[in-house]
Amino acid sequence: MTSEQAEITQGRKLSGIWLIPLLALILGVIMVVQKWMTEGPEIEIAFSTAAGLEQGKTKIKFRNVDMGIVDKVRLNDALDGVIANVKLDRQALQLLREDTRFWVVTARVGVDNISGLDTLLSGAYIQLAPGEGKKGAREFVALEQPPQTPANAPGLRLQLTSDRASSINTGDMVLYNGYKVGRVESMTFKPSDRLVHYEIFIDAPYHELVNSSVRFWDISGVSLSADASGFKVATGSLDTILFGGVSFGIPKGATDGDPVAQNTEFELYHSFEDIQENPFQYGTYFVVSFNQSVKGLLPGAPVEFRGIRIGNVDRIMLKEGQAMQLKEGREGQGAPIPILIYVEPGRMELPDRESSIEFLRKSIKTGVNNGLRASLESGNLITGAQYISFDFYPTTKPAEMGTFLSYSTVPTIETGLAQITQSVNSILETVDALPLMETVSGANDAVATLNETLNSLKSVLENQSTQQLPGQLDKTLDDFREAVKGLTPDSESYQSLNSTLLSLNRTMSNLEILTRTLSEKPNAVLLPYQQTPDPEPEVNE
Amino acid sequence: MSTPTTAAHKDLAACHVCMKLAPSSLHDCPRCGAALHLRKNDSIQRTLALLITACLLYIPANLYPIMYTDQLGTTEASTILGGVILLINLGSVPVAVVIFIFSVMVPSGKLMAMFYLVWTVERHSPLDPRQRSIMYRVTEFIGKWSMVDVFVVSILVALVHLGGLLVIRPGIAALSFAGVVIITMLAAESFDSRLIWDNMEDSERDK
Repeated sequence: MTSEQAEITQGRKLSGIWLIPLLALILGVIMVVQKWMTEGPEIEIAFSTAAGLEQGKTKIKFRNVDMGIVDKVRLNDALDGVIANVKLDRQALQLLREDTRFWVVTARVGVDNISGLDTLLSGAYIQLAPGEGKKGAREFVALEQPPQTPANAPGLRLQLTSDRASSINTGDMVLYNGYKVGRVESMTFKPSDRLVHYEIFIDAPYHELVNSSVRFWDISGVSLSADASGFKVATGSLDTILFGGVSFGIPKGATDGDPVAQNTEFELYHSFEDIQENPFQYGTYFVVSFNQSVKGLLPGAPVEFRGIRIGNVDRIMLKEGQAMQLKEGREGQGAPIPILIYVEPGRMELPDRESSIEFLRKSIKTGVNNGLRASLESGNLITGAQYISFDFYPTTKPAEMGTFLSYSTVPTIETGLAQITQSVNSILETVDALPLMETVSGANDAVATLNETLNSLKSVLENQSTQQLPGQLDKTLDDFREAVKGLTPDSESYQSLNSTLLSLNRTMSNLEILTRTLSEKPNAVLLPYQQTPDPEPEVNE
Repeated sequence: MSTPTTAAHKDLAACHVCMKLAPSSLHDCPRCGAALHLRKNDSIQRTLALLITACLLYIPANLYPIMYTDQLGTTEASTILGGVILLINLGSVPVAVVIFIFSVMVPSGKLMAMFYLVWTVERHSPLDPRQRSIMYRVTEFIGKWSMVDVFVVSILVALVHLGGLLVIRPGIAALSFAGVVIITMLAAESFDSRLIWDNMEDSERDK
C-alpha cells in the first residue's frame, strides 16, 4: 500500500520537462508582442491604375528602405481608379503626413537620365516622400508622375504661367546666365484660365537668386530676327535648342526685389525681348469711356500722363458696353464706349511691386478730385492713330471715379475734333459777348466828325485867295530866275568879280613870299635882305 | 484466456539501455549501471509537455516564411502552405501533394496521434490496444521523414548563393519546423508503449 501511495505522489509531481513548453510559450509570447509592437499603420493610396502594383509583393520604400508592402489592390467604388491597401511598418508612422507623397517607381528614360533600371527585374515599387504637414493622415492620392526633385531637397519651388505651351517639357532645365540651377517639374494646361502652368524647382543655394524682381523667359529653340543691322540668331545651350528650357534674371535697371516664398507665381515670358518690352510686372486696369469716335485707338496704344507713357490700351470693351446699355435700357442712345486700359506703376518710376498699385489707385482718386481726366488724343495725323492721355483740367466740371463691371473708371473729357468744335464755339461765344454795337456807334460818330473836318477843308480850298496862290508862286520864281541870270559868265558883274578874284590871288602869293622870308629871317623887316645862294654840291678831288 | 505473466508482475524491470531484466528493487542496472525503472520515468508528463511545446512551435512554423528568396533585389518570402498553394497554381500537383503530406499532414497527424495515445493511456481507455500500438509504431517510424522540408530548405540555402542574383535564406519557420519535428520525435521516444498494454492487463486482471 505504501508503495502504491508513493507512486501516486510521484505521478502528481511536476516534471522538469514542463520547462520546455513554458520556454516555447514565453518565446511565442515574446514574438507576438514584438510583432504587435512593430505593427505599423495601414493606409490607403489611390492610384489611377494598378500598373506595377502587385498584392503582397509591391513594396513601399523610403530612401530605399522597405517601409511596408501592398496588402490589397482593389477598384474604388466609382470604378474609376484603384485603391491599394498598404501595410506599413511602425517606423513609417513618423513619415505619414498630410502632404506625404507616393508614386510608383518604374524604369524611366528621360532626356538627361535613365532611372529605375533596378525595377525592370525586381518590379515596380512605391516611393514615399514624407511631407511636413499634420500627422495622422491615412488616405493618400498617389502622384501620376514621379516628382523631378528628390523628396525634401533644399531649394525653391515656383509656379510659372504662360499663355503658350512652347517646347518646354517636364525635366527641362532652368538656367541662370547659362548655368543650370533647377528644372521644370511639371507642366499642366488649365482650361479654366487658359494658361499653361509650369512647376519649377530651383536647387539650393541658387534659390537665393530668385526675388520678386526676377523674370522668367523661355529660351527654347532658336530665335532668328532681322533688322537694319543684319540678321541675329539667339540660342541657349545646345540642350535648350533640342529640349527647351527656362532662363531667369533681373531686367536691366530693375533693383533686387524681396525674397519670395515657396510656390510663388511668376509669368513666363516668350523671350528676353518680350521682357524688355514689358519690363514691369505689376499693373492695374482702369476703364475710361468716351462719347466720341475711338477710330484709330488700337489695343496696345499708349496711355500717357502729360506725355509720359504709363501704360497701354488693353482692349475696347464694346460687348460689355452694349450689355450694360441693354441692362440699363439705354440702347440706341449713343452710350459711351468703354475702353480697358492697363497702367503700370513701374513706368512712373514707382517701385515695381504690389503696394505701388494701391498707391497709384489712391493718387488717381485724389487726382480726379483735382481735375485729372482722361482724353483721347491724336497721336499720328497721317495714320490717325490715337492714344489716351491723362492730364489735369482744373476748370472742368467735377466728376468722380465710378465702376464698370469690376474695374474702376476714370472720368474723361472730350478732345480732338470734338474739342476743336468746342473751342470754336467758345470763341464765337466770346465774339458774341463783345460790345460791338457801342463800338460801331462810336465809329459812326468818328466818321461824322471826319466828314465835318473834310467839309471845312473843302471850303478853305474853295476860297479865292487860296486859288490865287499858285499864280503868285509862279511870279516869285520868275523873279528869282531873273536875279540868277545876272551872274552868267557873259555878264558884267561876273567879269569884274573874276578880275577881283585874280588880283586877290596875286596879292595872296606875294604875301606868301613875305611870310616865308620873315620866317627864315625875322629881322628882314629892319635889315637889308640878302639873298643866300643855293647850296651846291662840292666835288672832292 | 489465461492472464499472461509479465515481468512487472514478477518485480522485474528491463534496463532502458541494455534491456537486461533485473529485480526492480535495484536502483541501477547490474550490467551497464544505468538507472532502473519499471516503466519510463514520468512518461505521460514528458510526452505531454513535449507535445505542447511542439504545438506551440507549430504555430510560427506555419505562419512565418520558411524561406526567403532574394532575387535581384526583391525579396520573396514563402510559407509552407503558401508554397503548396503556389505549386498547385503552377500545376505541379504531385510535388504539392508530397510537400503537403510531409510538411503539413505528417507533423499534424503525428501530434494528434500522440495526443490521442496519451489521452487514452491516461483515461485507461479500453480501446483496442493492438491498433494503438500500430499507431504508435507508425508515428515513431514516420517522424524522421517530416524533416524533408527542413532538408530541402537547408540544401537550397547551402547551394543557391549566387551573390546578388539569387540568394535563398532560411526563415524563422524553418527553425520552428525543425523544432516541431525533433520535439515530436522526442515525445514519441519518451512515450512508453508498454503503458498501452498495462491498462489492458490491469483491466483484464480486474475481471
